[in-house]
Amino acid sequence: MLVYGTVAIYYVMFVNILYFAIMGLSYRSIGTIAKRAKYSSYQTLSGSELVPSVSLLVPAYNEELTIIENVYCLMTLNYPTYEVIVINDGSSDDTLSVLIKEFKLEKMHNPEIRGTIETQNVRGIYHNPDYPHLFIIDKENGGKADSLNAGINFSHYPLISSIDADSLLEKDALIRMARMYMENPEETVAIGGDVRIANGCLIENGAVKRVSLPRKIWPMFQSIEYLKAFLGGRIGWSRMNGLIIVSGAFGLFRKDYVIAVGGYRGGYPGEDMNIIIKLHRYMLSHKIPYKVAFCPEAVCWTQAPDTYKIISNQRMRWGRGNLKNMIENRGMFLNPKYKIMGLITIPYNVLFETLNPYFRITGLLALAGYTLLDMTHWRILLTFMLLNFLSGYLLSVGAVILEEIAFRRYKKLSDLWKMLLFSALKFVGYHQLGVLWRVQGHIQYLRKNNSWGTMTRQSWKEESETASTA
Amino acid sequence: MPESLTLERKQQEGLYHNLEERLNKTFPELCGVMFLYCPGPPQLESLVSEFLRQETGSDIEVLKDASTSTLAVLLPGSTLNQAHYQALLLKRHLEETVPEADPRITLTVFPGQVDPTPGVLKQMAESARLGPSSDIHIFTKEEAASEPGRILIVDNDDTIREFLTIRLNMQGYETLEALDGTSALELIEKWEPDLVLTELNLYGIDGLPFINQIQKLPVENTPKIVVLTEQRVERTISQCFQHGVDDYITKPFSPVELDARIHRCFQ
Repeated sequence: MLVYGTVAIYYVMFVNILYFAIMGLSYRSIGTIAKRAKYSSYQTLSGSELVPSVSLLVPAYNEELTIIENVYCLMTLNYPTYEVIVINDGSSDDTLSVLIKEFKLEKMHNPEIRGTIETQNVRGIYHNPDYPHLFIIDKENGGKADSLNAGINFSHYPLISSIDADSLLEKDALIRMARMYMENPEETVAIGGDVRIANGCLIENGAVKRVSLPRKIWPMFQSIEYLKAFLGGRIGWSRMNGLIIVSGAFGLFRKDYVIAVGGYRGGYPGEDMNIIIKLHRYMLSHKIPYKVAFCPEAVCWTQAPDTYKIISNQRMRWGRGNLKNMIENRGMFLNPKYKIMGLITIPYNVLFETLNPYFRITGLLALAGYTLLDMTHWRILLTFMLLNFLSGYLLSVGAVILEEIAFRRYKKLSDLWKMLLFSALKFVGYHQLGVLWRVQGHIQYLRKNNSWGTMTRQSWKEESETASTA
Repeated sequence: MPESLTLERKQQEGLYHNLEERLNKTFPELCGVMFLYCPGPPQLESLVSEFLRQETGSDIEVLKDASTSTLAVLLPGSTLNQAHYQALLLKRHLEETVPEADPRITLTVFPGQVDPTPGVLKQMAESARLGPSSDIHIFTKEEAASEPGRILIVDNDDTIREFLTIRLNMQGYETLEALDGTSALELIEKWEPDLVLTELNLYGIDGLPFINQIQKLPVENTPKIVVLTEQRVERTISQCFQHGVDDYITKPFSPVELDARIHRCFQ
């Protein structure tokens, strides 16, 4: 029993050291990132013939409240040549009809669908010559992955970008990503964008006008969490080319390789992680040099769930998707053939993401047991927990500092204090709930419960009205 | 906000709109209009109206543009000859009674060679005030043709907007500014500019949809559209011309070339 306690302690120490190492890598990159974000001439680039064309794929399922605003936002990006393809995934609400009405779309006769990935039946494609770069695909319900595949089949351009229908891109987001792609077009297969929480921001004309932190606590915690995951984590992971996920909310992909790996996998959540693992796998087994990059200066604002029910649903879904992906790709675990991916990323994910809840719960129980049995002093327990908290807090603060060095999106000083405060509060309750949700997700997986769960949206207008009255 | 500033300035020009209305409604048959600029005497307004009432014996009206202290005199029923004669008398009278007076007069009759639009009336007032010669000036059609054009500048970049505004104002154009596509569309409907000088990358609505929207607006004369943009993709340029854009200039641009291209649009 004592052995187990020691293992648990070493586990926690190791995981923290690893977190700090990753964050250290982020710190090494941040100077370059800040400079290129500030001094690159995106204006000139955004009108250049040489920038590759992109197809934006926007899967939409019951998005009647936010879809119009989002399409307007996506149609006014700073980018030379691109098209917006909204895929209506058999919505049961009026998503399709509000789009048709707003943009006066008409059904295309004989649309040319060139791709050959299997998808649900496409019922029709809508277009209006007055908006030459906008297309709506109407298909039968088949899930997000299926919608993306239908979009890939119809898309006209060599790069594709998946964007959630509840997200707003900054005007420069896509050109910033393209700049990164153009640095190394041969090897870059995927680029992830920085996702931030839009709750609390003032949104006008499909653009974020004034940035501020959410006022409700659930989105607030998620703001901190996203900041830590994206700036503290993904910058570091991308530096050693071990990125395991490009957020489904905003990512850029080479279409030829996405098609080569068979497109997105349907039928299960976690398709955004799955496509990246498949890309790694494909490139490594074919021995093609490649890179999965992360572009923190390309920012996408997304609506975070703001009630317990929805956030728990989302997190259970993530837990389920993560477990599924790990089981599916168990062959890569500690497999030297897959280099960084097989030796570091996958083991890290299995040990410290998927199995994390179990180590934490059992470790805590063991420690509590020791104290009760008087095998150790309660002070040691307390010290251990305090250390654990401090390292976690330091990581969050580290992420806030990264943000301040490179981006400074949050201009108010009060917002900065609020972030520091909530970074600490996160460890009382929210953190533990996260562990619980993940376990619940795993239980769902074992029970073969495979629903997407509810994900209700709020219209952007309501969001910004509450923001402007604050 | 540069927009509201310009709008305020426009409200001061209410006098000319007022004049236009009076000329069209109250005196639709025949009315001589004389603009007088004569700095110096404090009671110029009453001086002029008394003298002219005595001379003509009819009901004349004197209005004052406070910002430039130019007087507008309405002579209902006067032909061009009569108005000219009155102007000659008035000029001599002022020169005799007021020491060192230098009255400048521009006049015409409505309906006549030109229509009494606020632009024309303002131009007459300005030609009285700023004209080179002290002879009485009769305003003709040839001059009215050079009425300044109205240009709406649409760009998200403050520096570009400021530069264009200053430059175009110096050339005598009237300008307004808009920051994004949506407010530009509103302004076009309200202000009815002759030409829209626009970037293609805008917030709200942009690119080809923006150009299509401009052409569908319910205005009397659809404004000409000149695109001034970073966008250098050939296909976009040719699509813009297909959708009826009058000219397409890419940034960085030559100001002299821009002047020439805009000037051509007004011919």
